[in-house]
Amino acid sequence: MSRRFFVLLLVLAASVLVFGVPISAQDGPRWDGGDDLPTNPLECPGEDPATPDPSVEPVPFNGGQAVNPPDLAGQDIVLVDVPKLIGIGYFAATTLGQQQAAEELGNVTVTTDAPTEANIDDQIAVIDNYITQGVNGILFAANDPVAIAPVLTRALEAGIHVVGYDANSLPEAREWFVNQAEFNGIAKAMMDSMAAEKGEDASFGIVTSTFTTPNQARWIAEMQAYQEKCYPNMTWLETLEAQEDQVLSLNQANTLINKYGEDLDGIFGMTSVATPASAEAVTQAGLCGQVAVVGLATPNAMKPYVESGCVQSVVLWNPVDLGYAAVYVMRAVADGTLTPESTSVEAGRLGELQIVNGSEVLLGPPFIYNMDNINDFDF
Amino acid sequence: MTTSDLSISQPGSKLGRFRSLLFSQEGILFIILLLSIVVLSVISEPFRTVDNFLNQGRQLAEVGLVALPMTYIIITGGIDLSVGSIFGLTAIVLGYSWKNLGLPLEAAIVLALTIAVLAGLFNGLLIVRMGVPPLIMTLATLALYRGLAQGISEGRSVTGYPDWFLHLGQGSVAGVPTQVWLLVISAIIAGVILSRTTFGRSIYAIGNNETGARFSGIAVGRVKLLIYSASGLMAGLAGWIFVSRTTTTRSDMGSGLELDVIAAVVLGGTSIFGGSGSIVGTVIGVVLIQVLKNGLQLAGITVDGTIVVIGFVLLGSVFLNNSIQRRRGAL
Repeated sequence: MSRRFFVLLLVLAASVLVFGVPISAQDGPRWDGGDDLPTNPLECPGEDPATPDPSVEPVPFNGGQAVNPPDLAGQDIVLVDVPKLIGIGYFAATTLGQQQAAEELGNVTVTTDAPTEANIDDQIAVIDNYITQGVNGILFAANDPVAIAPVLTRALEAGIHVVGYDANSLPEAREWFVNQAEFNGIAKAMMDSMAAEKGEDASFGIVTSTFTTPNQARWIAEMQAYQEKCYPNMTWLETLEAQEDQVLSLNQANTLINKYGEDLDGIFGMTSVATPASAEAVTQAGLCGQVAVVGLATPNAMKPYVESGCVQSVVLWNPVDLGYAAVYVMRAVADGTLTPESTSVEAGRLGELQIVNGSEVLLGPPFIYNMDNINDFDF
Repeated sequence: MTTSDLSISQPGSKLGRFRSLLFSQEGILFIILLLSIVVLSVISEPFRTVDNFLNQGRQLAEVGLVALPMTYIIITGGIDLSVGSIFGLTAIVLGYSWKNLGLPLEAAIVLALTIAVLAGLFNGLLIVRMGVPPLIMTLATLALYRGLAQGISEGRSVTGYPDWFLHLGQGSVAGVPTQVWLLVISAIIAGVILSRTTFGRSIYAIGNNETGARFSGIAVGRVKLLIYSASGLMAGLAGWIFVSRTTTTRSDMGSGLELDVIAAVVLGGTSIFGGSGSIVGTVIGVVLIQVLKNGLQLAGITVDGTIVVIGFVLLGSVFLNNSIQRRRGAL
């Protein structure tokens, strides 16, 4: 083995060390998959809801604007919907809601098209192609809030209306975003459910998509803040990444079960793939009742586990309503009835939806599916 | 392959040379590419616009740049599966050393590209000195480099790049996207090196018979070190361009890139067993895949339908190519 080889190896090892240090250092934020943004935990159970401070000015409109869009008021519009990916139950449900809204309105055509993997590069390419093809509006759920911004800005510059739902982009790169539930609302519902099932001193692990996925990172940060405020005796064990992949999620849930054994009281599933996979892992390990699974998922995927009693609470909004609202918001933008000055928007069967955070339309409080109601839903 | 093409055609006959060119792998692919462009242009009006072609150029540049050294590597009978991870590692080192270590952005770019070259060199060193098969080695570093990228970034993205930095990914020079210039220049250099230099010939020699090449005095080890380092450099360059194009840095950037790149190279006629292939073929392969992805979607086919069609085209062109080559072999 020549000396040169070892010198080169040494250089590489040194460079790895320099960059590897932060892995072990851990003085930064915790390795829990949360983001760095400020948190705003809601009131603990039993406390009075905090009344909004009337002296606080509402956030002014901070969305973007389509440049010289054609006047589409009352006219037929053609929309494309680009979710993070296709082929999973969740986005099939938003698509269903969009089709319902399109049918009710009668003057909207919406097509769903997206990559089969949640890949930012592919999603950008798809949106780009639809800009070239020419549509009246783009509905999207972003795989990355920043990476998607340049292509959405291009759409706005081409006079195409842009409305997000489910996963936001930078605000200036789209006009409106339909927010399915505020992050602190979901966080509260998740932690309260865990506390109700396993007590206020439960130890839990989390299976999430990736640490950079905006929604999941935000929820985890809010869950952490709410737990510190309301359940200080709970123990965070570990957060594991599983993309939105079924096999990987199952493996990661098994990792938590095997690694922490008796210490593990519960698993939070942060994606509609991770939650049923975690429930499956717990069922296979014969730990139903001993390890609680609380998480975000579509009801159909969770029915077997809820019916067997292995899972008691599934936290979610109604994704059918989410897709439905997104189309109504887009229609209102095209008609010119939803403007930066608006404080609410009319959305068919959902009634008036409030506008929050400058340019977001709020769908409402989260919904908890349990044994009593889960069979009323089919998506 | 290029030398054998010439020997099969009748020397001096213009028709023979034309036929040999037409029925070379590149010739057949080029005809398929032209046909695709013509058909898609007829079907879809937005497809045949200059804007669309330039925009597609912007999107294929990253895969194209990485495909050039990949062609070299596959011709020597090797493979580099770690390019997507080097792509991601470069992006993260760039963002992290700028934002968290406080380096000037220019220095961060240099550092990131240096790491990319070292990452490629590391692949080469273990393949050459330890005799680790390239598939195993780069499969290991595929995981290793991606893990490093995730560890360094702690899963957090870096954003807020200054405007000048975005020029590479989003700007244009003389109306053509910046990265397309970079790709064209790199492709010409890579093509000339492969077909017109001793170094290029030694790449073919290694792929055809490595032991023979060694005994004819070719510095096999040095050639391999160079091409794996070049692969690292190009993956790093592509990573830098991608960061500039998307204005953000994520540790999962470039995942799956290796498959797109290898598909394009193999579609371009480079034999996965080594010994034959060309840069022209690779460029046509890269462009053909992009044209199909873009054109089929513009023609109203959904994304999942598009990838099915691309799969069939890959199969079809390999089949067509094989049957024509076989017939030629029988002549």
